[in-house]
This record gives sequence, structure tokens and C-alpha cells, in this order.
Amino acid sequence: MGKLAFNMRKYWPLYVMAFPGTMFFILFKYIPIGGSVIAFQDYSVFKGITGSPWVGFKHFIYLLEYPDFYRVLRNTLIFGFLKVTIMFMVPLILALMINEIRHSLLKKGIQTSLYIPHFLSWVIIAGIAFEMTSLSGLVNTIRDWFGLEPMLFMQMESYFRPMYVLTGLWKDAGWGTIIYLAAISSIDPEIYESAVVDGASRFKQMIHITFPMLLSTAAILFLLDIGNFMELGFEHVYNLLTPMTYSVGDIFDTYVFRTGIQQARYSFATAVGMFQAVVGLTLVIVFNRLSRKVSGGGLW
Amino acid sequence: MSMSWNEKLFQVVIITILCLLSFVAIVPVLSVIATSFSSRLPVDMNQVTIWPIGFTFASWEYMIYRPDLWKSFGITLVTTIVGTFLSLLITAMMAYPLAKKEFMLGKVLMIAAVITLVLKAPLVPYFLTLRGYGLYNNVLVLIFPHILMAFNLIIMRTFFKQFPAELEEAAVVEGCGYFRLLFKIVLPLSKAVLATLGLFYGVLIWNQFQHPVMFLQNPDLFPLQLKIRQFIVDDSVMPDMNAGVLPNYNEYTLRATTILFAIVPVVAVYPYIQKYFVKGALLGSVKG
Amino acid sequence: MLKRKFFILTLIVLLLTSLVVGCSSGEVENLNSGGETNTGSNQTASKNEGSVKEEIVDIEVWKTTNGKKGIEKGSPLYDFYVDKLGVGVIHPYVDWNGGTGYLNQLNLKIAAGEMPDLFLPWGGIETDLAKNGAIADLTDLLPEYAPNLWKRVPQKVWDVVKANDPTGKGRIYYVPGFRDYGVQGGLIRKDWLDLLGLEMPTTQEEYVEVLKAFKTKDPNQNGLQDEIPTGGREDARWMDHLFAMYGIAMNEGFPDWDIYDGELTYSAVTPNMRDALQFISKLYAENLLDQETLLNNKKAWDGKINSGLVGNYFHFTWSVGNRLADIEKAFGVKGDISVLPLPKVPGYEGFYSYKPTLDPKWVVKNNQDEKKLMATLKLLNNYADESRWPDLYFGVEGMHHVVKDGKRVRLPDDYSTMQNDNVLIPYDDIGTLEYKSELLMDAASEDTMWFMEQNVRDLRDIQQHVKAIAGDGMPGSVYEDYPDIRSASLYVEYATKIIIGQYPIEKFDEFVERWNKSGGEEVTQKARNWYQNLGK
Repeated sequence: MGKLAFNMRKYWPLYVMAFPGTMFFILFKYIPIGGSVIAFQDYSVFKGITGSPWVGFKHFIYLLEYPDFYRVLRNTLIFGFLKVTIMFMVPLILALMINEIRHSLLKKGIQTSLYIPHFLSWVIIAGIAFEMTSLSGLVNTIRDWFGLEPMLFMQMESYFRPMYVLTGLWKDAGWGTIIYLAAISSIDPEIYESAVVDGASRFKQMIHITFPMLLSTAAILFLLDIGNFMELGFEHVYNLLTPMTYSVGDIFDTYVFRTGIQQARYSFATAVGMFQAVVGLTLVIVFNRLSRKVSGGGLW
Repeated sequence: MSMSWNEKLFQVVIITILCLLSFVAIVPVLSVIATSFSSRLPVDMNQVTIWPIGFTFASWEYMIYRPDLWKSFGITLVTTIVGTFLSLLITAMMAYPLAKKEFMLGKVLMIAAVITLVLKAPLVPYFLTLRGYGLYNNVLVLIFPHILMAFNLIIMRTFFKQFPAELEEAAVVEGCGYFRLLFKIVLPLSKAVLATLGLFYGVLIWNQFQHPVMFLQNPDLFPLQLKIRQFIVDDSVMPDMNAGVLPNYNEYTLRATTILFAIVPVVAVYPYIQKYFVKGALLGSVKG
Repeated sequence: MLKRKFFILTLIVLLLTSLVVGCSSGEVENLNSGGETNTGSNQTASKNEGSVKEEIVDIEVWKTTNGKKGIEKGSPLYDFYVDKLGVGVIHPYVDWNGGTGYLNQLNLKIAAGEMPDLFLPWGGIETDLAKNGAIADLTDLLPEYAPNLWKRVPQKVWDVVKANDPTGKGRIYYVPGFRDYGVQGGLIRKDWLDLLGLEMPTTQEEYVEVLKAFKTKDPNQNGLQDEIPTGGREDARWMDHLFAMYGIAMNEGFPDWDIYDGELTYSAVTPNMRDALQFISKLYAENLLDQETLLNNKKAWDGKINSGLVGNYFHFTWSVGNRLADIEKAFGVKGDISVLPLPKVPGYEGFYSYKPTLDPKWVVKNNQDEKKLMATLKLLNNYADESRWPDLYFGVEGMHHVVKDGKRVRLPDDYSTMQNDNVLIPYDDIGTLEYKSELLMDAASEDTMWFMEQNVRDLRDIQQHVKAIAGDGMPGSVYEDYPDIRSASLYVEYATKIIIGQYPIEKFDEFVERWNKSGGEEVTQKARNWYQNLGK
């Protein structure tokens, strides 16, 4: 305690600076988070937190006893895995590629086209995906040219995960390049200059300079993504899902939506949210330790 | 020094791939634009794909001649500018100490920040809490809840950590305190990260929908997205049989138009942001 | 240096502006949030020419906003309702979002202690509220203070409401909707039948022949074999006619409850359903059912119907007009969409389902404020007065209707200018077939008469083929604790896969077993108990 007081007095400007942000966290995040206790109650809006009965782990048990719990868990984990591997790498690679374009106008044009889908809602993107794979859509038209039978991809389980990845990339890969491009611009040009003097081609420069420098940014983004491991974008999956693909596509979020939110079962929804948060937090802690060991840097 | 064959090939391959991807990415947008400028009948018959059918400005006229829409636009504009600035300020002030080893609370606060990323407060308590702060039906609810995004905070803190120590040390020798260090040295050289996070915050506030829906009841305070959503009804509503001539737009064309409303400002602003992604924005001062 | 000072100055100005706006709107909020504040003695009394200056009380009402603007104090629709119904109705804009948004908003309001005075209950919320004494017991209040409403709704419907009392005391806690006529049915392009020289099919065999003819003989005469004989939408909904043939009770595509084998049963687990699914999967395999049926969202399916591709579909009878108008514009053909009488399937009695008792329309807050409670009841009373219905239908002049040649004509819906006149629609909530037909006919003009007539004709025709199902009026509370059963997700999963042939029909038995095990048995027991208590 004495050490803290001493620290505060010596470095007081830092504490002043951190004050507004800290207040924000307390007021807008932590106090409301306290409301998560309703996960342990049978919360009724009419009775409020103080009036609603306590039920301990009832909702958690209900979740675990759900006959399809393992299905939902499996799907969520698989999507999470896809998200932090394939879908994570693409923006990085794209950024490296975009960086290589010399022609300024072309560069700007490509960047803009790539990030615009970020602004379209999932309803739209999913709608387009459905239309393109419809009987009269582009994909089946092309299949027809090759003499192949038309297929309705969206109602086939085996295509759901690829669809998830493709639509996810479509929407957000471009937007994800922005951070990397910003990071690239902070690299000291002198390093490139000396590499050129040594005779390195652009390709070599990209591999040996740009890429490693981006890794530390990538590492942080990875850790953040892992924390959100269980949060796969409800809207994303929900809009692509059809009953015929439930078995591979139903995830926690869609399950909770159907049974929790749509029917205003707040306690249950909160319990599931907590469960997901615990898993995500565990993963972050584990990977953060790893990251510290491997690269010396991490979230904390 | 001219490019070797390998280099040329490299360039060509990259550009081809990127162009292809860009085209694929832009297809949905073309579809939206096409719908926005199409007549009602072709859209009713679901015929519009990437080119408008029955080109018309009907949907746009509908939008532009609504004075309350422009009022909402104004509200959104002001809150975005104010909010972005405020958010950047507070985020920077929070990220800087977190990047300093000597700040004892650094680790604790970082963990606290990460936790907020993962654990979200349930709807009803969140509502009641903010309402208790007086944010109900208050336009400030469009700004305050977004002041600090943990994600942005962590990005900025990472960036500050990587900031060359020599630059700061040079200033410290001259007797600079932390505040001056932050505002006079570090921030001016952090244009890339400020531009990026500014974009993130800006887009967040511009497009926000959740908070207005929950907290704003007075329609005079509605920001753009909410105002627009008010009269773009979702699919499930039963159509009422009103005879008479149906207008040359329907909910789908209007929806498409509103989406463009959301995209156009960002596309317009982005080139200005891109300027800051110039290589070596950081340098100059060490040498100088 | 200077630039930064300027920037900061601008910022401060902007900040102050927004604060000012925020504060002033705070005042407005007090006036508008109805609820707790003013009791309106300062009314626009100019409207009252009567000898007694009645005090106008404001109450807060919540219902589907339908995308239209809210009703604030002093706005045109507010004044209109004061004039016609004698009560100040305040209705904020509420996000609907398929009901989820509305339910959430409502819950938030209740959590903050600001329940509206009169509102539409959703998601079964009335059960919880009744148990907690949050909503008023209307059993005695209605006959005394809202006699019009009391008399308008048939006694048997009130009995159902009493049976649904969650406290088990047989009290009335909500105002039901009531519609003694069916509105949805199978619809077919009669002009195609005429063109191909076919009779309206009466048996299932004939029906299938008709479908085949639609597919192969090009009745839309465009030289392409692009016709879609029949189809539906995702989740196997909006194709009820194919289930109806087998006597399966359905409500907008979701299985419902009826008497099977002498007992109240969920239609999805009956042998009828098994046979129906087998039939439908055959249709799918033979390409007589739109191959994209289970991927069709509303836009896609409507698009197909409206562009003259579909021969037979299932939907509201009163909206064939819009489609015909589109088809005429596109093809120059004045089509005829008639009701499809249910083709007979050997061994089954077919019917189109309907539920006369609509979902609860209103609940009344257990208001401590006597004035507001009375005002609410007064509103309900006047709302049920049929003589006021035409005024309510046409709404505010200039906003909802215009006067043409001395006749009132409703304007097409314009959500950005119209206020929500959907709040009080007694002619829909508790109206009769005759009334609805008249309204539809009244709205027609010379050009639109040819298809508006079909709306009315089809609405009348469907009545011969509809049956009120036994599950009518069943409260949502039977599904308590079994949200998956309520949302029918297991059914949808199996049905869709069977239809497209991914599952053989034998899988149906597996479905029934799983359904029963995952709560179906319990729910069925509760439902049967409820049914018995109805005193039928």
C-alpha cells in the first residue's frame, strides 16, 4: 500500500491521465456488469434484482443438460477455431499485398472496394450469398456451363462452414487490413533503404522486414480475437443458418437467441453469456502467457 | 533502378489477385446501389441484381425531402465529430500511462480492460444503470458509452509501447513532464494510429443503433440510423390493403438507399485518413 | 499552436451545443413520456363544444408501431383521438423487430417502473405480470366501465380468457382479439386453369395432375418452362395448404393443436403429419414443389408469385389484389386468383385452420392513478363502439386519407409522415367479416375494382373451407420451461430435411420420440389439462 502511494505521488501526471478512462470503466462497464448476478436468479423485470428469487446454478445446469449442448459447443469451437486461424491470417496477407502496389490511385481504389462490405449488414451479405447460390444464381449458372447439376448449397451441411468463412472474409477482411496498413506506415523507411542497398527484392523485403514487424501487431490482435473466441458474430451465423444446417451451424448465440432473448429469458441469456466469457477469458490468459514467453510481449 | 523480371511478375500477380478480390467484394454493393435506383415493380418481382431496372430517383427523392431526416443527419454529424474527438482524447490519456513501466496500476487496469471485452453486462441492468446517470432521452447517450473501447485502447497502448524511447528521452532531458510528452511529442507523431482509431470510433458512433433504440424516446433526438430504421419496416409486417397508386419505391429500395447513406460519408472521409498512412510519418524528428 | 487552440474552441462550442440540446430535450421528455406527469387540465379544450367540459386525461399506450411515427402530445393524431375517443393517447415510437425489439423495450420500461397504462402484451409477458399483480383485473371493470367492449366480444371468448388466468382464479387479465372468420387459405391461378381447359381439382390425384400441367404446359405463355406449380418459404411455412389437406392444424406455418383420436394433440406428432410430409417430399422430388422452397425468404417467394411464376400458393386472401396488379403491369394479363378448395385425400378430412381467438390485444396497468385507469377504460369502451370505426379507419385528413369527390380515400402507407394509426384498429381486432369486406370494397377505385373484387370474393369463399381449431385460445404458458418446443425448432429441422429428401420418412418416428422426450410429453399434459378446464 505504501508503495502505491509513493508511486502515485512520484508519477502523479500518469494517474491523472488515467483517471477519466478508469472512471469510464467503472461507471459504464463494471457497475452494469454487477447486474450479471441475474444469471443466478430467476429475474423478473417487475421484481427487479432485489426482488427476484435466487436459484444458484439452475440456468447453468439447464444449459449443460440441453440435449444438443454438445452439438452447440462443438460448432462454436469449430467456428472459433476457423476465425482465429484462416480468417485471422487473410487481412495480414492482404495488407502485405496492398502495400506492394505502387500506383496510388489503384491502391486507394482497391482498398476502398475491399473495405466497403464492412458497412453492409449481415442481412444483406447473407442475402447476396443466398441469391448467388440460388438456382438462377451465378454459381449454378457457372456449374451449368461445365455441365454440372445445380446444387442448393445453403441447405447442405457440408457447405455451411465454408460459407461462414467465405462470407466472413468477404465482409471483414478488407476492414481488417486497415490496422496493418497503419502499422506498416510506422516502420522506419531507413530499414527498407538499407535493404535495397543490400540488393533485396521487394518480395524479400516483404518477407524479411514488413512481415516480422507486423507480427507484434498481429499478436495483439490475435489475443483480442481469442478473447472473443466464443463470440462468433451472432448476426453472421444467424443470417446464414437454415434449419437444414442447424446441426453444423447452431452456436451458443443462436441457441440463446431462440430460447433466451426472443422470449425475454434474461437470466438464462446472461448465464450463457457468462459461460462464454469464462471460456474466452481462460483462453486469453493461457495465450497471453504463451505470447509473453515466445515474444516477450503480450496484453499484460 | 528498373525492376527485374521477377519483380514485374510479382507486381502483376499481386495486382491481378487484388483486383479480382476487389471486384468480388464490390458485388454486393453494386446490388445495393442497383436496388436503390430501381423502380418498385422490378424489385417486387425480385429481378434486380447488379444493374438498376427502371432507373428512377424515387427512393432518393423520398429521402431527401424529409426535413426530419436532415435533422437526424445533423445530430449524427455533431455527435460523431464530438464523440470521436473526445474518445481519442480519453483513449490516448488512458493508453499512455498503461504503456509506461513505472505506472504501478498498469497491469491491473489492462486486465480490467480485457475483462470488459469478454464479459458483457446484461441488458436490463445496463439500461437501468445508465438511466440512473440521467442518460435516458439525453443526446449524450450517443457519445459517452463509446468513449473508451477496450479494443482501441489496447491497440493504442501497444503502439505507445513501441514508440521509440530515444524521442521521449531527449525531451525528458530538457525537462518535459508527462503531459507535455504526450501532447507535444508522442501524439503528433502518432498520426497513423490516431487516424485509424479515429476512423473506428467515428464509424462506430455514426452507425450506432443499439443505444439510441434503448435510450432515446424523443424522436427529435434520433440519430440517422434510428430515424431511418423507423420507417424501413421489417419483413414480417402484414401489408395493409390500401388502394390507390402505389409509389415507385418500396421498403427494399428505401432500405438500399439508407445503406448508401451510411456508406457514402465513410468513403468520402477515408481518403483524408489515408494520408496519414504515409511511410515514415514517425520519423523526421530524430534526425531533426 | 493557433490551429490547436481553434480546434479546442470549436470542440467546446460543439460540446456546449449538444449539452443544450440534450437538456432542452430533457424537458420535452417530461411532457412526452406521458406516464407519471401531467393529468391534462390544460387541454385543447377548444375541441370540446359539448355542454360539459370533460377533462382529457393522457395515457401512455404501446402497440405495434408498424414503422410509423409515434404519437406525441399535441400532434395531429393525438388531437384526432381526443376528438373521436375523448382520451389523450400518447404512443412513443417503439422498435418492433419481429416482436423481440418491442418485448425488450417493454421490459426495460417496466424495469424502470414506468409501465405504460395500456399496452399490447407480447411473448407471454401477461402471465408474469398477472401473477405479480402488475396488471389490472378486468373481470368487473369491463362490464361496468367498458360495456361496448364487454358486449362486443362473445361470452365464449371471455370464458377462454378466464380459463387462461395464470392465477387460476378464473379472472380476466387481458382483452382478447376476436375474429370469427378465416383469412388465410390456398390460392390458385384460376386463369391458368381456364387457359389449360382444366377444372378446379377436387381430389389429391387431380391436384397433382394440375400441378404437372402447370409445370409442362406453359400457362404463363412466355415460351419458357419456368412455372413453379406450388411452393412455400423457409422453415416449411406458408405452404399450409399441403398440410391442410391432411387435416393438420397449422397457424401460419407452425403446427398447432387440435383433436386427434379424441384427444388434444400437437399436430406435428400425428400420423397425419407423417403422411403429409411424405406427400410433400414426393412433390419436391418430382419438381412440382419449388426446389428453393426451404431457402425462400419472404422477398424471394413474393417475388416469384408477383412475377407470375407460381400457380398455387398459400397466403392472406385479402392481398391477392396487390399481386394481380403487379402481374398485370408485367404481363398485361388480368389474372384471377381464386380460393383452392381442399383436394380430398382418402382417409382424411381437410381444412384450413384458423383461430378465432386472436392473441391478447391489450392489458391494462394496475394503475394507482384512478384518473388514468378510468381514462383507459373509457378508451376501450369507445374503441369498441362500432359507430366510431369508420373515422378510426380513415384517420387524420391529409395524413392518412384525402377526400376525393366527397368520398374518403385512404392514402398508401408512408412511414415517414404518417403517425401510427395502427394503435386503435378495432375493426381488425374485434371486427366481423362483413365489416372487413365493406372496408375493402370502399377502398377500391374504378381502375382497381377488378382485383379488389377478388380480394373480397376470396375472403368470402375461404369461409367454407376453414375450421376453428381446438387449440384456439391456448395460452403460451403451457410452453413454460420448454422454449424449444414453443419455437418448434425440432419439428422444423426434421420436416425440412424430410421434404428435401435428406432424411427418409422413417426418420419421422425418431422426431416424435425426441419431441416427446425433450418436453413434448409435459407440454401435451399441460395442454390437455387446459382444454379440460375450458369446460368443453
